[in-house]
Amino acid sequence: MSDILEKVMDAVDLETYLVCKDEEEAEKFTLELMEKLGFKDTTIVFIQHQGPGARIRARGYIYKPGDRYSWLFDQSN
Amino acid sequence: MSRKKVLLAPLDPVHDIGLKMIKRGLEQNGHDTILMPPDHTQEEIIKAIIDNKADVVLISRTLGYGVAEILGKFIDLAEAAGLRDRVKIGIGGMAIRPELAAELGFDAGFGPGTTVEEAVAFVEDREYIPAETGVKQEKKDITADYKYDFNNKRIEKLLDTIVDGILDYVSDKTTTAIMRAELRRQIIESTSESEKDKFRREYAKLCDDVVKSFYEAGKYREKTRPLSSDEVSALSKYVGDVNSRMRPMKLQHTDKNPVVFIQYGTGCPFMDIAHIKSCEAWGADGVIHFDPSWGARTEGFLEGYITHEEDGSIITYENLKSIKESLAPYTLWQVRAHRGLNTPETVVIAGKIGADLTKINIAYGSLSGGTDPERLTVDAVAAIKYAAEFSMPFDVVTNEELSGVPAYKAFAGMLIVSKLGLRLGGKPILQPLFCYSPEVMINGQMEDNYVDFNAAKIYCLRNIVNAPIWCGAPIGFLTQTEDRVQSSLMTALHASLASSLGVDGISIASSDEAFSKGPITAASRIDTLRATQASFRFFGHANMEPTENAKKWAEEMEEGIEKVLESVVKNGSFIDALYQGLLGSREDGAYPGRAGRNSVLTKA
Repeated sequence: MSDILEKVMDAVDLETYLVCKDEEEAEKFTLELMEKLGFKDTTIVFIQHQGPGARIRARGYIYKPGDRYSWLFDQSN
Repeated sequence: MSRKKVLLAPLDPVHDIGLKMIKRGLEQNGHDTILMPPDHTQEEIIKAIIDNKADVVLISRTLGYGVAEILGKFIDLAEAAGLRDRVKIGIGGMAIRPELAAELGFDAGFGPGTTVEEAVAFVEDREYIPAETGVKQEKKDITADYKYDFNNKRIEKLLDTIVDGILDYVSDKTTTAIMRAELRRQIIESTSESEKDKFRREYAKLCDDVVKSFYEAGKYREKTRPLSSDEVSALSKYVGDVNSRMRPMKLQHTDKNPVVFIQYGTGCPFMDIAHIKSCEAWGADGVIHFDPSWGARTEGFLEGYITHEEDGSIITYENLKSIKESLAPYTLWQVRAHRGLNTPETVVIAGKIGADLTKINIAYGSLSGGTDPERLTVDAVAAIKYAAEFSMPFDVVTNEELSGVPAYKAFAGMLIVSKLGLRLGGKPILQPLFCYSPEVMINGQMEDNYVDFNAAKIYCLRNIVNAPIWCGAPIGFLTQTEDRVQSSLMTALHASLASSLGVDGISIASSDEAFSKGPITAASRIDTLRATQASFRFFGHANMEPTENAKKWAEEMEEGIEKVLESVVKNGSFIDALYQGLLGSREDGAYPGRAGRNSVLTKA
């Protein structure tokens, strides 16, 4: 994990619009996109396909409750 | 401070509203102003500065196209005219960033969001200190203005009869939860470690095996772990640092807007605190502690700083104390004790630490919360007594509606527990749901809009009793989707509906309300706080107008409540009425809870 991601309180949400033919394809593309961006713990929060593409919101968790949060120890907070 | 002559000039084809506002502010502060109309050239503005012998010039530029070239030329001309040594020049507007202004040689640059006061400070050569008007100073007691007078005397009489029966029944009853609550109080109050250990040993004997093994063998439940000492000290520093830079926003736009609560319970008290501090910064007035559902089915509480990996944050004295110590002094704090096998102890811990509010409802807790009706009735009377002792008002939530119980039945249960609370010296707060409940899904009261049926609930309760109302929990339940824009909008509109109806408080969800595949995030909490603030700003003192259905349904609800209360009185026993389904039946979707069944003891 890079240092800057340690500044994220809990998760990074990625919102965009994917050109695709249906929701199934949108889901596949979304997970590929998150993997390409380096997120390990990924889930899709929202996905809706209409016509040309899909509005999506994907989430990459950096910390989940119970983890040890690096930002808690950062003296520059 | 000397009086200044200020020339205000829009270097823009049309836009000058910002300069008009600043002109007014400057004049109120005793300065002379000259406002040029839009669409003048740089050369014309330079000439006006010279002709008017201005001390200060404020230029505005809204359009971004070619901004650097246009402003650069203006500064060059000012330099060539010999103005730079004696005239102070500031630039502001939507297209301006302070870095750009500095780079081009202006004395100051004011970007979007600049206040009139900031511009006046620049003209007067003084440092700008932001006003603290948005900072909250005091907690609001939402029960303060209520006398609990019943307008519907028939209903009041029925409630009194039922409450008499409850108090008579519990008078010779006790439970292990009540005994543990007293032991917990002794553990908290004792200053002797050996005495604390003695109380702990007694306490452990009254607990389930999983809790007993914690006290006797130091074993933790699966998916839980103690937080380390370096995490605990890091938290303290984190909170201190955050508090030193807090300038909280204010959600309310008018004094009629209700106080706004958020719910937390990520599983980790430290993540909770991080979320709480973020919510305080974005204007939340209060926070509500959510404990894990397994905690409600377990006899006894653990001790220490404990985190776990599931929803709901474990109630321990230390966890709650760390949360309390992190709160801003003006933040209202509620710890729920509305269901489960530890309700009296929850109120004791919350009260000793200084919680402002708790949550108690026998009908909900036993019909939809999984706790045995008899057990919860005995425990709840003790819990209400503690709430009264610690001066903690408690809301009486009606979440059994989400199981399918019709509002009028849920309200009958709420009113019984509220009357019980009043009799025991407590301050109950009515908590109707603003939700898309199974009742309305089946019967169609929300086919047209989400306004009328929710309004009917408030009209009905106001017709019955003069009591504080806090809509929950959260408002808009089952109207939100996983789309954060839709979800935030639904929350905000329900918030403004609540405000229109003059309620005292609301609990709002995050925009992750309908998302169930992982923990909710801090950002999603800010979404709905922001939306609520915008909606309060939009409506101000204006109201939403329900249709005639609202009053009609309010009358039907009131009649329904009265009939339910009559049936409980006729039955002769509140507890039996819960088992029999008079306040929510199996057909409705309510099932008497089993946790703690047959555990009530007769006092020796």
